[in-house]
Amino acid sequence: MPASHRRRQVLRYLPVLPAVVLLLVFLAGPVLWAFHASLTNAGLTGRHARNPEWVGLDNYQRLLQDPVLPLSLALTVLFVAGSAILGQNVLGLALAVLMRRARPVVSATVGTAVVAAWVLPEIVAAFAAYAFFSRDGTLNQLLGRLGVPETDWLYTVPMAAVILANVWRGTAFSMLVYRSALSGVPGELTEAAQMDGAGAWQRLAFITLPVIRGSIATNLMLVTLQTLAVFTLIWVMTAGGPANGSTTLPVMAYQEAFKFGDIGYGTAVATVLILIGAVFGAAYLRLLREQRP
Amino acid sequence: MFRRASKTLSVVAAAVMVLAACTPADPAGGNRTIKVAYQKTDSFTALDTMFQNAKKEFEAANQGVTIELQPIQANDDDYGTKLALALRSPSTAPDVFYEDTFKVRSDVDAGYLLNLDSRLSGWGDWNKFDAGAKEAGKADDGGTYAVPLGTDTRAIWYNKKVFEAAGIGLPWRPSSWQDILDTARKIKASQPDVIPFNMYAGKGTGEGSVMQGFYELLYGTGASLYDQDSKKWVVGSAGFKDSLTFLKTLYGEKLAVPPAQALDPNIWKKVFGEWFPKAKLGATVEGSYAPSFWQDGGSYAWPGYGQDMAVAPFPTQTGAAPGAVSMSGGWTLALGAETKQPDLAFNFLTTALNAKNSLAFTVDSSQIAVRTDVAADPGYQSANPFVKDVSSLVAVTRYRPATSDYPRISAAVQEATEAVITGSRTPEQAAADYDTAVAGIVGGDKTIRK
Amino acid sequence: MTARNVRARSTWADVALLLTGACFLLPLLWLVLGSVDPSAGHAVKVPQQPGLDNFAAVLTPELLFRPLWNSLLLSAGTGLVTLAAAVLAAYPLSRYRSRFTTPFMYGILFGTCLPITAIMVPVYGLFVQLRLLDSLPATVLFLAATSLPMAIWMTRNFMDAVPLALEEAAWVDGASRLAGLRSIVLPLMGPGLGVVFIFVFIQAWGNFFVPFVLLLSEGRQPAAVSIFSFFGQHGAVAYGQLAAFSILYSVPVLALYAIVARGTGNSLALSGAVRG
Repeated sequence: MPASHRRRQVLRYLPVLPAVVLLLVFLAGPVLWAFHASLTNAGLTGRHARNPEWVGLDNYQRLLQDPVLPLSLALTVLFVAGSAILGQNVLGLALAVLMRRARPVVSATVGTAVVAAWVLPEIVAAFAAYAFFSRDGTLNQLLGRLGVPETDWLYTVPMAAVILANVWRGTAFSMLVYRSALSGVPGELTEAAQMDGAGAWQRLAFITLPVIRGSIATNLMLVTLQTLAVFTLIWVMTAGGPANGSTTLPVMAYQEAFKFGDIGYGTAVATVLILIGAVFGAAYLRLLREQRP
Repeated sequence: MFRRASKTLSVVAAAVMVLAACTPADPAGGNRTIKVAYQKTDSFTALDTMFQNAKKEFEAANQGVTIELQPIQANDDDYGTKLALALRSPSTAPDVFYEDTFKVRSDVDAGYLLNLDSRLSGWGDWNKFDAGAKEAGKADDGGTYAVPLGTDTRAIWYNKKVFEAAGIGLPWRPSSWQDILDTARKIKASQPDVIPFNMYAGKGTGEGSVMQGFYELLYGTGASLYDQDSKKWVVGSAGFKDSLTFLKTLYGEKLAVPPAQALDPNIWKKVFGEWFPKAKLGATVEGSYAPSFWQDGGSYAWPGYGQDMAVAPFPTQTGAAPGAVSMSGGWTLALGAETKQPDLAFNFLTTALNAKNSLAFTVDSSQIAVRTDVAADPGYQSANPFVKDVSSLVAVTRYRPATSDYPRISAAVQEATEAVITGSRTPEQAAADYDTAVAGIVGGDKTIRK
Repeated sequence: MTARNVRARSTWADVALLLTGACFLLPLLWLVLGSVDPSAGHAVKVPQQPGLDNFAAVLTPELLFRPLWNSLLLSAGTGLVTLAAAVLAAYPLSRYRSRFTTPFMYGILFGTCLPITAIMVPVYGLFVQLRLLDSLPATVLFLAATSLPMAIWMTRNFMDAVPLALEEAAWVDGASRLAGLRSIVLPLMGPGLGVVFIFVFIQAWGNFFVPFVLLLSEGRQPAAVSIFSFFGQHGAVAYGQLAAFSILYSVPVLALYAIVARGTGNSLALSGAVRG
């Protein structure tokens, strides 16, 4: 009996096979190679391109002593907190809430504008954002009309610029998630609260938000993990500058691996990035588990 | 039994057919193919044209041979990445490829390039190549691994209108750093809203910031980055500090652009596209390829550039011999170390770089000729008004010590210049930071105090 | 909720929304203005002599049509392969209970935080060994693999929303599980499938690094790669043409989004895609 039961189990999960094969071959395999490479001195060119040597934890030791690492870590956390957790998430929720109260025509139009930024190919969006923030770009021209002097935003406040650009780019996803989540909130709950004299803010904070807590946590997780991997946007806008002022971990990994040709070191940085992702992930899992019935 | 035998035979036959279909066509005895990889973009098609012509010539002269052109559409950085990836394994490595002089040494270290010494000695045209240019393809062991396509130099480009308005005598020939500072101050006094003298610095413009900036200073002090004799990196030189001090003075007295602008990677576009044509910039240090932007069909076409602009060599610190400094980069053609047809590939290379194709490419891309016959050609000399001036600098030009550690060293130099122009470090402090950085990159035993 | 209350709130919400919408459209100004300006720079300015020269220069087979076609093949291929694999994988994950489900789901989720640049070197090596370089189908498989984590997540959640009772009714009538999936579950998930497809399609459409590394011949490059032909040597950029190309390059995905949105009832809400 157990044999046929196990056979039935295997057959049941057979449909997962194509996905698993694809993931193992094209994702898991390379990721494991990347881990392995971080323990060698593999290079893109130079002596160690064809014959990388095993160096154990040397790359990680060097990483811990690298002055750019703490800066990069801090910038990455800042970028994720600012553009994902706060920016996209809160703005997406605000838009979703507003859209339920606005005229349908306005909702649809604004929805399209927000989604347009998300749908735009990454290179195009990155370049448009660069042009927007550059010295003779749209932002300075607008602020110039208000009397604000021309500033080089990408030089003076590079992190603010890339955070805003990423919020512009990704809010659509959160907005769509929350729109559907809000539509699932039972009307009776909010009406009952209104009968009891609760104002709009109180209804939002004490009724609506708790009901959609699951969606909030899952959205945070997805948005955070995706934001951790953002590279092209920052690279095109500031190339990590000035003076590493916007060098998040993906930018640092790319610079080390491809500009300096040090693959071993670059993949070590990427490993740190995965660890950060795991830390965020664990935090959200806590949040999810707390409210799961 | 017959049935079993025929069954086995048919299975074996099927297997053989499948294997034959799966393995790539054996080059021996039939079509022989040479793979050629190079860079091509919307505005850089000179190389593509050259290879197309060479392909026609070569295939006509060598029946049965196919030249497979593989242009890579990318900017310099991405092209380098793609090429490096392709060179990692013999099955994807091209036979002939376009290689930055910058990368020759580290690629030789990696075992990617074929030693060309024996083949070059048998090539008649090789002694028509300029001796200095030949250095570009040399590796640490003294062997030549790449053939230069063309080269470039750096000089001071200045706008005659701005200089006339400031009352400076033309043609302008600064003989020392002090001359530059004095002239810049004069311009500033006479035209406050003109940028007197631009010099790239900081990490924004990347390699260009040091090639068209710091190195012109450093190599004019008698110091250098790398000591060829001892094969060690130089630290603690007075020349390094002096060069940083010059930049500090230039930026501190507001004789150059505001530091924020210097760090914009796109500042050179303003230099070419806006400031020079509008006479808003007195002078800059830039490459000999500048006319390619201003000439007909260039990105910033400016019909009047021949009359308004002029070239002056960048002086040494005090005017000591040789009197001027220039830096050269340039690109080469190289052969893959594991190419299956080295002789054929080399022959194609010589076809691509013969006098005719060389001339066309050099003029098309505003390069400086590395072949003496091309340099003497009237078509080349009349390509733009400044060919003579920039070509004469080849005599004093220097090359970067392009080992595999160089990219990091370059980044350290850029950081030093950035710290100094933004005022966050003094020249002494920035030089000390650089020394520490170099020791960290190459190891203390590979540095030498000079 | 009285009518007057609704209208008063509406106006305030309208204004706030319109302001936000305008902010979102601002960065696109440069794109639009630059594309019709024959002498565009990277500054935003109203063109002195607006014209369609940039578009004309860009509308050629090598520059636009073939790359767009390649982009279409890559993105549609990736979308379909991902969708198929995700639906198949989501079914057992949604319908059966196992203690491996949750670890598996969260395990693959971490695949989304890895920047592609980190694994391109080993992937390139893998493709070389398997002789899969310069092959559009192989690149599609790789892009599908990188899109699978999100796709499986979203598909599984969409599938959770289809009640098991409906399938059970079909089984009672003698249908197999596969038939049930095909005739009951999938049709009900229609909008959800559309969302997943569009999500994967958009990501693949904009992906530059993967096709750049894995495809060799000029004729196979998608538009995301050929856009770099506008970045010339020494870093010069043909801005006007870049803007025109960008608009033409973005229009297909915008159109696709509009179509799918209309098809799923005019409000492309990620209904049930993301739940706790």
